[in-house]
Amino acid sequence: MSFTVNLRGVSLRYGSEDALADIDLDLEAGKIYGLLGRNGAGKTSLLSLLAAFRKPTAGDVLVGGEPVWENAPIVSRVALIREGGDFDDSDSVKAVIEAGQIRPSFDTEYALKLAERFDLPLKKKVRDLSRGKRSVLAAVTGLAARAELTMFDEVHLGMDAPTRDAFYKELLAEYMDRPHTVILSTHLIDEVANYLEEVVIVDRGRLLRHADIEAFQGMGATLTGPADAVDALGLAALAEQRLGGTKSITVADALDAPTRERAAAAGIEIGPVGLQDLFIHLTDPERKAA
Amino acid sequence: MTALANLRLPTRRYALGAGFTTEALKFFKYWIAAALVLAFALPFAVAQWNDITISAWYYAANAGKWFTAFVSGGFLFVLVPNMIATGLTRRELAVSMGLFGVLWSLALGAIACAGLLAERASYAAMGWSHGIDANDAIAPIGSAAETAAFGAHYPLLYLVYFAAGALVGAASYRWESAGWLLLVPVLPVVFSLDNALYDTKPVGPGWAGFLGGLIGDWGRGLIIALLLATAAALAAAAYRILIDIPLRAKKA
Repeated sequence: MSFTVNLRGVSLRYGSEDALADIDLDLEAGKIYGLLGRNGAGKTSLLSLLAAFRKPTAGDVLVGGEPVWENAPIVSRVALIREGGDFDDSDSVKAVIEAGQIRPSFDTEYALKLAERFDLPLKKKVRDLSRGKRSVLAAVTGLAARAELTMFDEVHLGMDAPTRDAFYKELLAEYMDRPHTVILSTHLIDEVANYLEEVVIVDRGRLLRHADIEAFQGMGATLTGPADAVDALGLAALAEQRLGGTKSITVADALDAPTRERAAAAGIEIGPVGLQDLFIHLTDPERKAA
Repeated sequence: MTALANLRLPTRRYALGAGFTTEALKFFKYWIAAALVLAFALPFAVAQWNDITISAWYYAANAGKWFTAFVSGGFLFVLVPNMIATGLTRRELAVSMGLFGVLWSLALGAIACAGLLAERASYAAMGWSHGIDANDAIAPIGSAAETAAFGAHYPLLYLVYFAAGALVGAASYRWESAGWLLLVPVLPVVFSLDNALYDTKPVGPGWAGFLGGLIGDWGRGLIIALLLATAAALAAAAYRILIDIPLRAKKA
């Protein structure tokens, strides 16, 4: 069983500042979600509410159809792994892994297997780990939690590219083996885009967009072809790249049929829009001001 | 925390409370052993130059009150983010800490009481006077029964200090820069009752127990009742702070 997520009119204030305002959000069970937003947009605040790390100022946070706050049967099956993990730095890696057994579903054998795979030194104190290894330990405890709702908040920070790749693959393998709800909050958008089924974008404490990945990719297009031909289309580009006589541009609007025909006739290839380019466009403050 | 073996949900709070106690005792076993060795060896060294008239273990046992307060406050400060991030509710954590407090106070109180009795036997064998510093005068603790009765209050005192430490620990996590200020009202109350119970100055800033002289004549029964009520009030205040405590944001 994996958990659904429902937020109804949820707000969170830090003093006089709105971290989240009037959020309504429904996430189906058993999917991998990407949570995107600029720095300070409210991603971590949103995840903190889902894991009952914080209590909302207003509104209802339901996980698995039940209020998550102080609900032991629910929170024991929800895992939010924050950057660097929430560990006692004086503990050894082994002690941190064993402490995971507070969760009834924690898989210690799997955690130790992952620790070996990622070269985690079991006897070393957490405070003596490098930033990357600490991130790996956090990721290992999150995967081995075998939770019904697992959330990783920038957990990849400090990991090198091969380790991140191995982590994503392990996450996917665990998800395929045991379908559950996963939320990945990250700034490395293109790196995780292939794993995501739906994307939620928050901006300035509000829900900006929530759609499946295909819908996002259909919001625009990438056109690649001879530079002159691309320029001749006269499209407003979000981003562009040029290599010799070839040019690639990203546009934020779905292309109409005549434009597609002109592009095809000019030898221009049309592909889906990159999620990162679209995200940059959607959260551009100047765009909203206009 | 070792060898938890996956805990069952409805009872994990009790298993954790017992686990905290055994882990804390294991973690501090050398500290406790060092206090024992020091308190029992020191009088033999001092006896080379001076008469021994005062219990050394009394000071070690009293230092245990501060130690207890630091253990509870320190543990809670660290455990709040760790345990909640591991899927524990605040209520479960509060129950675990409550059980930890009772078991820890009983265990340390038993060590304190047993130490006093052992020390009395040792002092008697050496012909030394087994006394305490009772407000600037050395007062003998008394017979074995009186020593046992004297030592029997330690579990209660440790419990009060444990609750006080938990309150300050919870407040310090919740209000990062101001939580420790709860020491200002808590310390005089705890010190005064401690002072009043034994008619002695507690280990630490003795002036903070200034009310002890005023309430010292109220009778031991009433003071014990007040200590129990204080432990309950401190625990209730710590629970109130803990029950909706937000986890701090991570800092880069």
